[in-house]
Amino acid sequence: MSEYAISIASNMGMIAFVALSAYVVLVVGEISFGQQAYFGIGAYVSGMATAMWGWPFGFALVLGSCVAAIAAFAVGALTLRLRGLYFAIATLCFAEMIRLGLNSIHVQVEIDGEPVGPDGAEGFGDIRWMFEHDVTTLEYMFIIYALLGAVLVVLLLVERSNLGAVIRMIGQDPLLARSQGIDVGTCKLLVIVFSGMIAGLGGCLYAHFATYIEPNVFNVMLGVHALAYGLIGGLGTALGPIIGVVLDIGFLEGVRAIQGYRMIAFGGLVAILLIIMPRGILDEVRIHHIKRWLRRQ
Amino acid sequence: MLEVRDLVTVYGAIEALKGVTLSAKQGEITCILGPNGAGKTTLMYSIAGILKPRSGSVSVNGREITGSSAPYALACGIALVPENRLVFPSMSVEENLRAGAFRRLRGDRSAVLEDIDKAYVRFPSLKRRRDQAAGTLSGGEQQMLAVARAMMSRPNILMMDEPSLGLAPLVVSEVFSIISQLNKEGVSILLVEQNAHKALQIASHVYLLDQGRVAFSGTPGDIGEDDIIQRAYLGSKAA
Amino acid sequence: MIDFIQTTLDGLSIGSAYALIALGFTLVFGVMRRINLSYGPSIMLGAFAGTWAFVTLEAQPWLVAVVTIAGTVAVGMYVERLCFWAIRKDAAIASMVSSFVIWMQLEEVATILLPGRTYPYPELFKFGGIDIGPYFLRMEHVTTLAVAMFMLVVLRLLLYRTRFGLALRAVSESSEAAVYMGISPVRITFWAFVFASFIGGVAGYLLLAADQQVTPYFGLWATFKGLIAMMLGGLGSIPGAIVGGLLLGVIEAHTQWYLGNAVKDLTAYLVLFLVLVLRPGGLLGQGIVERHAQAFRRI
Repeated sequence: MSEYAISIASNMGMIAFVALSAYVVLVVGEISFGQQAYFGIGAYVSGMATAMWGWPFGFALVLGSCVAAIAAFAVGALTLRLRGLYFAIATLCFAEMIRLGLNSIHVQVEIDGEPVGPDGAEGFGDIRWMFEHDVTTLEYMFIIYALLGAVLVVLLLVERSNLGAVIRMIGQDPLLARSQGIDVGTCKLLVIVFSGMIAGLGGCLYAHFATYIEPNVFNVMLGVHALAYGLIGGLGTALGPIIGVVLDIGFLEGVRAIQGYRMIAFGGLVAILLIIMPRGILDEVRIHHIKRWLRRQ
Repeated sequence: MLEVRDLVTVYGAIEALKGVTLSAKQGEITCILGPNGAGKTTLMYSIAGILKPRSGSVSVNGREITGSSAPYALACGIALVPENRLVFPSMSVEENLRAGAFRRLRGDRSAVLEDIDKAYVRFPSLKRRRDQAAGTLSGGEQQMLAVARAMMSRPNILMMDEPSLGLAPLVVSEVFSIISQLNKEGVSILLVEQNAHKALQIASHVYLLDQGRVAFSGTPGDIGEDDIIQRAYLGSKAA
Repeated sequence: MIDFIQTTLDGLSIGSAYALIALGFTLVFGVMRRINLSYGPSIMLGAFAGTWAFVTLEAQPWLVAVVTIAGTVAVGMYVERLCFWAIRKDAAIASMVSSFVIWMQLEEVATILLPGRTYPYPELFKFGGIDIGPYFLRMEHVTTLAVAMFMLVVLRLLLYRTRFGLALRAVSESSEAAVYMGISPVRITFWAFVFASFIGGVAGYLLLAADQQVTPYFGLWATFKGLIAMMLGGLGSIPGAIVGGLLLGVIEAHTQWYLGNAVKDLTAYLVLFLVLVLRPGGLLGQGIVERHAQAFRRI
């Protein structure tokens, strides 16, 4: 694989984490404009862990995703009463507060005579774990995809379980779910925390891949893109957001013929797709048909 | 008069109406009874131009209106009082009435204002609450408002979808007395009702709808009330 | 004290532009219950058309205004047809995402039209400002404030005094019942969209004429400022949009003056977050969260 192909593939893998985290929130019936914040938190925390405090990579991943999950818990608990657009805008506010907050965070330590650490809007460079441990980009890509695969397996298992059915029911009709004796609030909170964890994990991977991060990477555009991926690929299965990511990043980078007009082409195609399939390519109904077909085989 | 011939309407994958033929004569109260899912509401929507029928025809006084738009059906004198009333909740009673006369507001505004006054004479409780938000009215008052609002388009035929739904028995009687009073003033009525007992008391003609077909047609005297009620609630197979 | 009042005045000036943008948002949200994310970008593209006329055709400032507003309305119609009219009524999220991908499309059209990052935009008035005692007001800002108030009055007259307004409110309360009255929700929605785009075009023109420059980031900026102002005042409330816009402007001006630029945006988001958490209906909203917050309530 060429370095270019590896970097595209790695990018798709890392963005897939944010897309998956936006997707699980969509499944529970809410729209979040703020998943990019957890991605950013994961990136900053894990970057600080390895670059500043010399933590092993694995611990940094755990720490980054846990801090992101804690942040998601706080946001989820505060916004539990909110629904629809209110929830969406509250998460947007939170994410923008995080991004703007990162702009004014200056925590640096001196390592080998060089200051290392987040330097506000100047960003946070020298996250050099990959170089220090002689990890090639190809190997790193495998790490990304192994973790992505693990997350996907967990999500697909949950979707097949009772919990998955409960979560879908809450997404379709929270009142009905409540009348069935389901604790809607706790379930939602659980999903939001899990979504924060997934996005945080993606952020950890991103920080060590990019080696340089800055607050503006985690702006609202990333979050809205993540939302769009789920809706393009379909809300019926966790594979949906992956399809969305592949279509967007793969399509944009793949088709050179439309260079310079690619957003016009892509925007138009997605808009038409959403007219024909308002819940994405692999929506609930189509997944149901596919499952039935598979069972018959 | 309203003439419906071999009407077939498909709702998604379900054929809700499988060839319905019926007529509502001028000045009469025509009542449609039938179990849930018989296609009563679909029939009304198909007549009012809200659903497009697949085949068959609907005509009013000889004028063909099959598959036309809702505004056109309204212009031809067909008004619908929907199930659950559907008043505009945060608009005032008077604004609801004005909305009912929407098609006429372009021209004869003074006639619309006259009609509003007439509605207040007919429904004094609405006059008392003219500036109140419609959502704060009681169920019975909302039903009155829905009827008055539909009357604002000066219809020849008033279609009512389950006007007694969710109302207290005393209020139901009031609603039915208003229906027969409107009828005496010359408005033809097409009534869909679950309350077969009440409906049969005022109906001139009864149709029984079952699984998208007309199962019975005749005057209330043609058939015993018990028989109708049994068929209306349990379907033709039980009868 | 003089500083405080001057800062408040500055805040009200920029806030009146926010209020106008929020007004357009509210109008569309009220009648459709859906969010048009490409509202800001369509204003941006309209403004780019205007500045294109200014840069390449050396158009007069009044012509730039006309091109900007007409361009915004034209783009708004395109967005309405593609992202709202064509998409099933129960698919609100699909509409929102669709309006987002069209946003990306509009941004690219703008950069093809004018590939640079910043372009000059003709100013509205040559004369600078007026002094009232120790206070100074820029003429552009006074105009913006006056236009915002004028639009508020026009909108209220339109909604409560005209046949179109009656139909619009009926559709926003129950589009199903509106159909039974012979009202066409599709047509009403379309014209509401056109009118909202017109307001957006006017707001965009006033803002950019005061700034005397336009960048592609204006789209993002306008969409999110408008959304925040709308939510701050109360979703679907027209006076709420005005109050929310003015308040946002004042909050920003004061935090910028006392705490610096870095804290300005942060404070705006913090205030909105707190308002949403503590009083979810917004300041002038109902105070309770309803899935369909009632629109266009009387003051």
